[in-house]
Amino acid sequence: MIELNKITKKFTLHNQGKTNILVFNNLNLKINPGEIVALTGPSGVGKSSILKMIYGNYVFQSGQIKINNHNIDHKYPRNIIELRKNIIGYVSQFLRVIPRVPTIEIVMEPLLEINSDQDEVREKAEKILLKLNIDKNLWNLSPLTFSGGEQQRVNVARGLIRNYPCLLLDEPTASLDSVNKDIVLNLINEKKDSGSSIIGIFHDEYSRKYLNAREIDITKISNAK
Amino acid sequence: MQPILSVHNLNKYYGNQVGCKNMNLTLYPGEVVGVVGESGSGKTTFINSISGNLIPDSGKILIETGNETIDFLEISESLKRLLIRTELAFVHQNPRDGLRLDVSAGGNISERLMSIGQRNYGNIRQTIFKWLDKVEIDKSRVDDFPRTFSGGMLQRLQIAKNLVTSPKIIFMDEPTGGLDVSVQAKILDLLRKLVRELNLSVVIVSHDLAVIRLLADKIIVMKNGEAVESGLCDQVLDDPQHSYTQLLVSSVLQV
Repeated sequence: MIELNKITKKFTLHNQGKTNILVFNNLNLKINPGEIVALTGPSGVGKSSILKMIYGNYVFQSGQIKINNHNIDHKYPRNIIELRKNIIGYVSQFLRVIPRVPTIEIVMEPLLEINSDQDEVREKAEKILLKLNIDKNLWNLSPLTFSGGEQQRVNVARGLIRNYPCLLLDEPTASLDSVNKDIVLNLINEKKDSGSSIIGIFHDEYSRKYLNAREIDITKISNAK
Repeated sequence: MQPILSVHNLNKYYGNQVGCKNMNLTLYPGEVVGVVGESGSGKTTFINSISGNLIPDSGKILIETGNETIDFLEISESLKRLLIRTELAFVHQNPRDGLRLDVSAGGNISERLMSIGQRNYGNIRQTIFKWLDKVEIDKSRVDDFPRTFSGGMLQRLQIAKNLVTSPKIIFMDEPTGGLDVSVQAKILDLLRKLVRELNLSVVIVSHDLAVIRLLADKIIVMKNGEAVESGLCDQVLDDPQHSYTQLLVSSVLQV
């Protein structure tokens, strides 16, 4: 369960004339287990900011964010680190990895945090890479030279190899062809059916309908217009 | 869970000059804390002051060994030396500062083992090979002198030399500083793997924000000897609150 209560979020740009940008004032949101919420609205309206506040990348000025009843509190970074290890998963739009690390190891990494059996973890990583149509010949190469669609699927594999109770998805299907898009959407549906609370940004109507997502138009609740 | 290392209100002056001032740090087992800031901001003074290389003027450093809490600035010099050889490790920016260049690669790795009382030649030799393998140095180089090694190999040898006794806390000062980018990537990959496999607790100093983002869980941003901002690493880098951190983050060149 993900809950946002009375969130205020503003950016103060100290080096650009101390500009203040108020993005949210009194933002309330709740995502139940087994539910998918899709954030909609034009770019710059604050969709990614919501995901980043939930994951702890962005601070907020007032209000409360609760993940399975744990508070996101930046005074205690240790707690956020633990939440990320055990409860919140995040599939970002772009792959950020160490150069020269093989794809298979990048996908295995989140699972190795909780399971030290290398062989078992490798097997699971191979399974999800096969499912996502990443050619076997690519597994031992760094994904940095892959195509956009392949990189995105590696990112999805890494994010979905575990079963997180809460899942944040930032345009996980943006650069995929229709066949691979359906595969990723099916994987997301599996997570939903297993009881995850899922919130995401999906650029196309098709994905939102496929996932049977509850749509929330951020334009109506954002101050950044 | 208890922090393995905690630093409270640490101060170090060079005469009237501030080295570092009012510094605090909490490090939990398995955690990596990055210290960033421009040259002269006090990063190296800070890491030297908490690792036994420098004696701070005031403050408290507590180290949790599992059975007891050690007040690092109050213990005897001999106990401190023992700790530095066993529970603590320091990886220098220049590997030549952390290695003995006139002793073989294997000799460098075995030094800490022997200082904690290991004497069995066979066992020591085996541990050396295990570590050469971990840091990807060919076994055939075991009896070669470090001066015949490349910069990247020297740095990997220094890491092996330091980690061989499974120290609880590792301090690193710009460990990828003088290396070209392809070697840097390899060392970063190695460090990340070792942190996870051995549940290492690390304090790492770097002026390279990209290195810190890839390795660190938490971050301390220093300016003029003081911490201007600290917290969760990707939060401080993605949504910096202090004007100096905003300047630092926005000054990084995009590739």
